[in-house]
Amino acid sequence: MEIRDNSIQRIAQMHWYNFVDPVTKLLLALFLTMLSFDFTNLYFEAGLVLFSLMLLLLSRLSSATINAVSFCLFLIATMVLIQGLFYSGNIHPLFSVMRITFYREGFLYALTMSARILIIIFAIGFFMSTTTVSENAKYLESIGMPYKLVYLLMSVCYILPQIQQNMKKIQFAERARGINPQKTVTQKVRSILPILIPLIIKTFDQSINRSITLQLRGFDSPSRTLATPKYRYFQTKLSHYLLTLVTILLIGWKLWQIISKFL
Amino acid sequence: MANNQQISINDLSFTYRHDSKTVLHDISVSAPLNSIIGIIGNHNAGKTTLCRLLAGIIPNMMSGQLSGDIHIGNLSPTHDWSALNRQTGFVLQDPASQLSGLADTVADEIAFDLLNHGVAEAEIQRRVADVAAQLQLTAQLQQSPNSLSGGQLQRLAIATAIVTEPTLLILDNPTSEMDPQGRRAFFEWLRRIKNTTILLVSNEIDDLCEIADRLWLLADGELVSQGTPLEVINQLKSEWQIGTPKIYQLAKLMDWSLGADLFPVNINQLRGCLHDRDSN
Amino acid sequence: MKENGIENKGNRFSMWKLHLSVATVTLIPAAVGINYVAKAFAEGLKLPLWLGSLGTYLASMLAGPTAGAISGFINNIIYGLTLSPVSTVYSITSIAIGIVVGVLFNRGWFTNAKRVFVSAILIALTSAIISTPLNVIFWGGQTGIPWGDALFAGMIGNHINIWIASFTDEFVLDILDKVVVAYIAFFIYRQLPQRMINYFKDNQ
Repeated sequence: MEIRDNSIQRIAQMHWYNFVDPVTKLLLALFLTMLSFDFTNLYFEAGLVLFSLMLLLLSRLSSATINAVSFCLFLIATMVLIQGLFYSGNIHPLFSVMRITFYREGFLYALTMSARILIIIFAIGFFMSTTTVSENAKYLESIGMPYKLVYLLMSVCYILPQIQQNMKKIQFAERARGINPQKTVTQKVRSILPILIPLIIKTFDQSINRSITLQLRGFDSPSRTLATPKYRYFQTKLSHYLLTLVTILLIGWKLWQIISKFL
Repeated sequence: MANNQQISINDLSFTYRHDSKTVLHDISVSAPLNSIIGIIGNHNAGKTTLCRLLAGIIPNMMSGQLSGDIHIGNLSPTHDWSALNRQTGFVLQDPASQLSGLADTVADEIAFDLLNHGVAEAEIQRRVADVAAQLQLTAQLQQSPNSLSGGQLQRLAIATAIVTEPTLLILDNPTSEMDPQGRRAFFEWLRRIKNTTILLVSNEIDDLCEIADRLWLLADGELVSQGTPLEVINQLKSEWQIGTPKIYQLAKLMDWSLGADLFPVNINQLRGCLHDRDSN
Repeated sequence: MKENGIENKGNRFSMWKLHLSVATVTLIPAAVGINYVAKAFAEGLKLPLWLGSLGTYLASMLAGPTAGAISGFINNIIYGLTLSPVSTVYSITSIAIGIVVGVLFNRGWFTNAKRVFVSAILIALTSAIISTPLNVIFWGGQTGIPWGDALFAGMIGNHINIWIASFTDEFVLDILDKVVVAYIAFFIYRQLPQRMINYFKDNQ
């Protein structure tokens, strides 16, 4: 039996998205975002939204993505409202309710921006729901990212769920003590300090201990064995170069559009 | 001067930068390499600070006023720390802070040091299996380190320290969270280790007297007594507030002396003492 | 600053080291965690603030502007990837906050309550100047905080330039948030044990 499972995963368990490496997925998200900035035609934006949604639906739709969408929906709604009413380019009325006029230009402007936000959420959701922390860590290390940086990124990914759990406990204890009677902001802020300070000191102490441990355990050593990627990916270099190139072109074009307005 | 076959500490004093109080005063002591040295002393006697100095955590990561020097064979924590560190295994007082924090399994956690040092995969597999068996962690190899009990976590911390096959092993109170059975197994295991200099901070005076070649006794940052367990225990002063082994207490009550007013501190000495009495 | 305990690290107070020490590498996740906790507290207590930069402030104060900037950057990246994707773009603001706090702290602008107030204003200005274009690009100028956005809607309803309206929206929220966070950070820093402060200083 292999004690440490670092063999490349067997083909049978793999989905199509396992053939795409994490960096390509991120670059794809960036590329789609830039596309939505460069081509503001509403049909095109809708196409992009559909495309990124398809990516997500053909892989896995995680609850985190649904949360992110619902979090943004309220903001999107207020955006449509504010821009529809007050957008500086408003000329053509769309409809009027009780003598308040809602305009077409602002509505379309807000729709374009909403589409862009949805594209970002879906594309990043695709990355998040089809990769795992350890897959990303192994891949980044294997393509030459310094281990210190890999460690940094990954330990943040590990620390957040831990803290989320601790927070639930603290909030539960808080609730058990009864509702905070404090009214003013200053009182509320003061009331959290007795919990916050010990928590912060404990957190920093753990960082100190961990940094000592890591140094004792040869973390800095230049002879570290690079991790091997978890999956065998398809055409990684080609997709990185291609996506980077077109994204840079799109950024360049967008910048040119902005600059030429002032010329 | 530095002897290649000795661990020697000369006129060592240390004060942390955040503190005006001197933690260690003028410590000079030596012992042969490959022996087991028990470090005992009261709370705040400076045991952990001494361990930090021996491992080079001071002055390489924590600063303060340091004078004197330490030689461990031809290695020194102050002169060439990375050379020393490659030869050192350190077990911290709090086992949870010993973990890398990123390993998904106990096996990956133990392999961390070996990966850092670029050891080949086949060798990693072999060594991980070996130390896991030594510390009775084989059944836990595929579990997450977060799922372990306190005692198991301490054994994992020890496993990560010895997997690099160090020649110097520093253990700062490694049994504090173990049950009596686990502790006994630990001291039995420690006795079997060869060719390693072991410095062990512990409050388990009975076990220490069984396995240690030397004891260093610290009180308020001073080395107040050192020698074999027999010498140190027989010269204890009450103000040092150190407990005595049960065998010693019993022998003293029964007046089973080894002669020259020395009472036995471990089972072998007790046997020898009783044997002598029988033959007389 | 005070005595120098380690001889071979003569120039270790230089602020701009890009080389990351192991201590900084383990401090940054802690800072991100503190950001998260503080933000959760603010939401739980229904404060009209974010408080989500507290850890970034503390990282800058303990380990310098680079550490603070990286904390801020990674904070928004990870937050964006896991919770709300659009917050990724505000990583630029967080980087700036980390740098400004670190520089002000090193220049002694976090030594007493009066100076902290001046620092907080400068930090809020930096934050608002950088966030405004992002708000305009991504949200048509809104900040997503209801009463700030009500102000914004009122201003552009009266044909005030969108940039001015958006900046006002952002700055009003920022000034409150950054002043409160600056005072909390100032207060907490003074409660930290000296050994902790020294450790991060020594290991930069």
